[in-house]
Amino acid sequence: MAEAIKLYPQLTRVISHFKKYDIEVPKSLLEVKPQKPDLSDVKYPLPLRKKDYCCFCETAGGVMWYGGKGGVTRYNPASESLTDVVMHFAARRDLLDNNVSSIVPDDKDGVWVLTDNGATHIDMVLMTMEEKSYRLLEETLTYVQRHSMVSQKKLSEAGNLKSILPYGHSDNDGSFSAAYAMGEIFRYATLKRELGDLADETIEARRVAMRASEATLMLMYVSGRGDGFVARTYLTKDEPVPDDGLFYKKNGATATCLNTTDARNKKIVGLEVKADAPIPERLRKLYTCDGYEDTDIIYKGDTSSDEITHQYMHLLVAHEFLGREDPEYDELLKTAAVNTTTHMIKNNFALREAHGGYTTWAKWNLEYFNTPMGWADACLNAGQMLMYLRVTMHLTGEKGIWQETYDELLEKGYADLTVKHYDRFNQVCVQGGIDFREDIMYGDHMLAVLSLWGLITLEPDEALKEKFRTAFRSWRGSLAPEFNPGYDFPYFLSDPDNAKPAPERIRTWFYRFAVSRLASNVSLDMRRDYPKKLFKGGYEETSALLPNDERFIAKYDRNPLEYKNEDSGGVFCVESCYPYTFAYWLGRYFRFIEEGKN
Amino acid sequence: MDKTIKLIGNAHLDPIWLWRWQEGCAEVLQTFRSALDRLKEYNDFVFTCSSAAYYKWVEEIDPQMFEEIRTMVKKGRWVPMGGWWVQPDCNMPSGESFARQALYSQLYYNEKFGITCKTGYNVDSFGHNAMLPQLLRKGGMDFYVFQRPGKHENSEIPENLFWWDSADGSRVLTYHIPDGYGTNGIEALNRRIDDTEERAEKAGHGLMLFYGVGNHGGGPTRGDIEYLRENLEREGYNDLEFDSPDGYFEDILNELIDLPSWNDELQHHASGCYSATSLVKALNRKAENVLAAAEKWDTLSSIITDSKPSTKEFEKAWQKVCFNQFHDIMCGCSIMEAYEDAKESEGYAMNIANESYNNAVLRISRKIDTWLEGVSDPVFEERHYAEFMPKQFPRPVVVFNPHSYEVELPVRTYHPSKAVTDCDGNEVLFQNVRSSRSNDNHLDTLFMAKVPPFGYATYWLELDSEVKADKELSGEQNFFMENEFMSVELDSETGYIKSLVDKKSGVEYAGDNFLAIPTVINDDKTDTWAHMVFKFHEIKGLMELQNIERVENGALRSVIRTKHKFGDSYLTQEFILAKGQKTLRVDCKAMWQENFTMLKFAFPVGGDKEISTYEIPCGFVKRPCNGEEEPALNWADLTVNKDGKRVGLSIMSDSKYSYDCPGAELRLTALRNVIFADHYSDRPAADFNFTDEGLNRFSYGIYLHEGEADTSDVVKEAHLFNNNIVTVPESYHKGELQQKDCFLYTNLDNVVVTALKRCEDGSGDLIVRLYETKGIESSRGYFMSKLFDNGFWYDIGKHEIKTFRIDRETNVTEVNFLEGIVK
Repeated sequence: MAEAIKLYPQLTRVISHFKKYDIEVPKSLLEVKPQKPDLSDVKYPLPLRKKDYCCFCETAGGVMWYGGKGGVTRYNPASESLTDVVMHFAARRDLLDNNVSSIVPDDKDGVWVLTDNGATHIDMVLMTMEEKSYRLLEETLTYVQRHSMVSQKKLSEAGNLKSILPYGHSDNDGSFSAAYAMGEIFRYATLKRELGDLADETIEARRVAMRASEATLMLMYVSGRGDGFVARTYLTKDEPVPDDGLFYKKNGATATCLNTTDARNKKIVGLEVKADAPIPERLRKLYTCDGYEDTDIIYKGDTSSDEITHQYMHLLVAHEFLGREDPEYDELLKTAAVNTTTHMIKNNFALREAHGGYTTWAKWNLEYFNTPMGWADACLNAGQMLMYLRVTMHLTGEKGIWQETYDELLEKGYADLTVKHYDRFNQVCVQGGIDFREDIMYGDHMLAVLSLWGLITLEPDEALKEKFRTAFRSWRGSLAPEFNPGYDFPYFLSDPDNAKPAPERIRTWFYRFAVSRLASNVSLDMRRDYPKKLFKGGYEETSALLPNDERFIAKYDRNPLEYKNEDSGGVFCVESCYPYTFAYWLGRYFRFIEEGKN
Repeated sequence: MDKTIKLIGNAHLDPIWLWRWQEGCAEVLQTFRSALDRLKEYNDFVFTCSSAAYYKWVEEIDPQMFEEIRTMVKKGRWVPMGGWWVQPDCNMPSGESFARQALYSQLYYNEKFGITCKTGYNVDSFGHNAMLPQLLRKGGMDFYVFQRPGKHENSEIPENLFWWDSADGSRVLTYHIPDGYGTNGIEALNRRIDDTEERAEKAGHGLMLFYGVGNHGGGPTRGDIEYLRENLEREGYNDLEFDSPDGYFEDILNELIDLPSWNDELQHHASGCYSATSLVKALNRKAENVLAAAEKWDTLSSIITDSKPSTKEFEKAWQKVCFNQFHDIMCGCSIMEAYEDAKESEGYAMNIANESYNNAVLRISRKIDTWLEGVSDPVFEERHYAEFMPKQFPRPVVVFNPHSYEVELPVRTYHPSKAVTDCDGNEVLFQNVRSSRSNDNHLDTLFMAKVPPFGYATYWLELDSEVKADKELSGEQNFFMENEFMSVELDSETGYIKSLVDKKSGVEYAGDNFLAIPTVINDDKTDTWAHMVFKFHEIKGLMELQNIERVENGALRSVIRTKHKFGDSYLTQEFILAKGQKTLRVDCKAMWQENFTMLKFAFPVGGDKEISTYEIPCGFVKRPCNGEEEPALNWADLTVNKDGKRVGLSIMSDSKYSYDCPGAELRLTALRNVIFADHYSDRPAADFNFTDEGLNRFSYGIYLHEGEADTSDVVKEAHLFNNNIVTVPESYHKGELQQKDCFLYTNLDNVVVTALKRCEDGSGDLIVRLYETKGIESSRGYFMSKLFDNGFWYDIGKHEIKTFRIDRETNVTEVNFLEGIVK
């Protein structure tokens, strides 16, 4: 892009909840006699029916706030951005409940709101997008990280960070931690370029980035199997082991498969597996510093291609920005790449589990591709495997077996498969009698972005590179409607001739990203301003994209148009900051965006 | 890979072609009877038939047989296909027409048979526009079967089976019949089976074989079915199986095969059909437009005045329009008598539209407060509208806008005035112009009206029967006209345009060439379809000027009239340029007597890097400037590099569908005068009737723009050109409505609302349909409306059609053409 998109400080909603008679709650909120607003002059769609609004107040600049059965609406017809003319505040992220009885202005740009369950202060804080990234990071570091991995944490009380449960893992700790680490590495690289090596901010950014990177890399070593097997995540002895997947308790030379439903189904409870391959000391300290030993570690197996793809892209980014100035660490990155790539080559392009079979979702071979399930997956997975090989070649600086394997896979049609994603995926949908959008695996989007971005970055052959660009374009039909810069920036880097950034949408995505990653039970049933779209198979979406801070939650592996969403931990969870920080620092580093001044 | 060949028993039925509809109807009944008998005789035989109109005939004429069909449909033995009213021409109907083809048909199939057709089926239609995948998908269909053009007409279209994509991203699995939809007779079947076997081997997957006597109906014979049954399994050959296209597609989807994709239109087969028989084309365009506009105001009026909407009447009217879009009717290649029928049924449809329209706007206008103090004083009592009008009081006139955007354009009333003001008392530009009557002072009032989207505005005319005609024309005449946007000068020797300048770009479009040259093309070597003829370039001559005169030169508009002659034929053109209008309008009257000819208007713009763009249903398509005859809806455009700038000239019309673009020249095909239903030019001696002989009235417009056609306003200009706004002369009365209002508004200028109607399920829900016009993705679109006291946001993709359903509680749902009634 010729010119970076300037992001300006924005009034951003910061929410605090109180009991009705809390001393902080202004008396005026309790005493005001609500009056029904006159909405006849409103020229833009309102979220609620006009008759549902029962109270209103005005803040500086003629900004009107309307409360009613269904939340609070901020109406600012003078807003520069059409998206911000009407803002809506509802659900647990913004209000204790949606039944607003009164509303009064605070002493700045925000309001106090009284609902059935208490009072809420909607503070409108002028904030830069960089400041937002730090607020989100702080929340993640304070509440979400676990052994420096970040994904999500559970809450005992919805919307209350103080109710966070100390333990808990995610199936995708590896993926989310890798994406978080990449975001932090791009932050470090950006600040290093802008402020210099020695600036405090740069030094701190490097520390955080290195820690995140090490926590991610740890998963490539932690099993101790010594064969390049990558763990999904790990727990320590003090954390409860959930009945969700395959867990191995390290005992020294071996690890034992624990008794879970999945292990019983696979008949491997008690199975012993090698576990004594050494873990590099600088990684071990991630748990030894908390007083844990190797034998206190329980790792999770049955790893999927999601984790592997994130890991390899992380290896590439970490190598470029951390490894090049830290040879010892670079060696760990290279060794991990070599071990895991070797594992996959030796095991017919799959991850092999302790029971001797493949893991459920890490298969990149033709046998899998020729199954009904693998036929549509093949296009994504073929690109992934090629990316792993390219990254390994790049990190080691060697061709040898990696190039031979790469050529062998090209011969088998792997590059050609990558371009067939849309054709095959669509065919499967039509076969199932559903619309294309009903069957999108949103988790696959990041995998496609990372594998194709990595491939296009590293592929020297122009014809192949063009083929991979075509493959990337075959994903755009489902990627582009998300308007997620975390997907769009890698695409613009990969296919600059077809990059058509929409500055307003990119700005909106950052401006309207919530400052907290608390999940919220957003339901759009009350809203009249966003149509519901019905699909053939019965799936429901919003017809238009809601701003990030009015959706259920902004994530890379969820449908941003989803009409109702109460999964992914429901409302009892707080997510990591990476959806924002990855996009923001990637954008800053590659100069797609920059901070502007009002 | 399964290479089973599916045997598709069918009877191709042309309800009109070389016969009139009454015979077609009888043939449907006979064919359906025969098919039912065969189904009873052979328990594995499957029969398929498209076109909801045929089923409705049977339902109304022979309910008992209809019940038998329902039973067979339930059993899966009889499979209705093609969720449209007929097999229409697939180039010329509007996007809204395609929506109605699906709406009324799929709802009918759903009601009568409990099914939704999955396969679009147009095996005989003469070409297929590039937006069809979207139009099919939004009509509930995932699959498509077509035949024309054949490989000999376009060898680039994939053979057999492919994914077909439209510009919005919609996709249908499409089957290309290579060898006929109606194989019958043992010898032909045997040969066809062998061919299909060979093709299936080459393709690596199963194929379909369509059999059964067709065109004039008939269907599979006992002999055909018995022969096929004997050969269902033969050693060393692929299996044969009786099935339907639905069954074929579903089976093929279970195969893990990679199929080619195609993202262009499917053209050309019968290039003469875009222009043959102007009458039916004009009727279609007019009916489509008046129905859409009338339905919008009928809907608005039903809410504003709490009156009963005419939904059922519109259904009947649209069904007539859909029927007349049958390919052999609309393509102008049926017998002459068939067009008498088309005139009647299109007239029926337009009559419903016009009555509803008039009722709707009058219901509203009667509620507008037009009362003037003193107007009821007995001394001023009105006795006669024109002659004895109350001169002290201006007359209210209400102008209604059926468009989703504000319009500002001249409107006409049939009386002269001495002043016109708007509802705020501001003076309005007006001009008294020559009327079409011969009594009184021969003058009408033309005034500039500015009307909000989906709204109305009241104007006040000080009528004056004493005003005189404009005398400025008595002096020396020149043939130059200009407004804010363009200047145009006609050549006094030829009557052609010798100068045409876009004032914004400063580019002279005429340059060394004249423009708007009425050119007579020889067309004596082909048939009505123009089979295997794709270019019409043999010039017989240019029409010669007989007379040129300036007719008007007023404050609001200028008019220059030319009269040309060629052989025994005359052409009168009135070039009209009005203030504030971006389009130069040309009203034409042709008395045509030249057999085996075309009349084209040539615009040799010149320049280089030419790109031609043509409107298709809910979109546009770019085609090479290779001189082939091309179909288009309201407009076609030629954009070139000229004088160092990128500029374009668009031609639009009120009734034409055919253009060509040989290099940097765009030509509108206005007339095609060939023998009716002349198939392959086998012409015995006879006194034939010709498709366009006699009087033809039509209008075309010229619009200039900078940049590509995509980003210009041509879609709206052409849309407006085709849709007159309605003017209601009113009287004085009190009322609750203000003198100007807007009922529905959207903020995006790259969308056009094509339908505002009530939902067909009787719920009273509103349906709003719109499409994106410029090929750009847009976000933060919104509608606001007094009708539902709020509004809603929408995003829209490039060339996307969106349909919204709004219930009484103002819940908004995005639905497809089937309005959320059929899930």
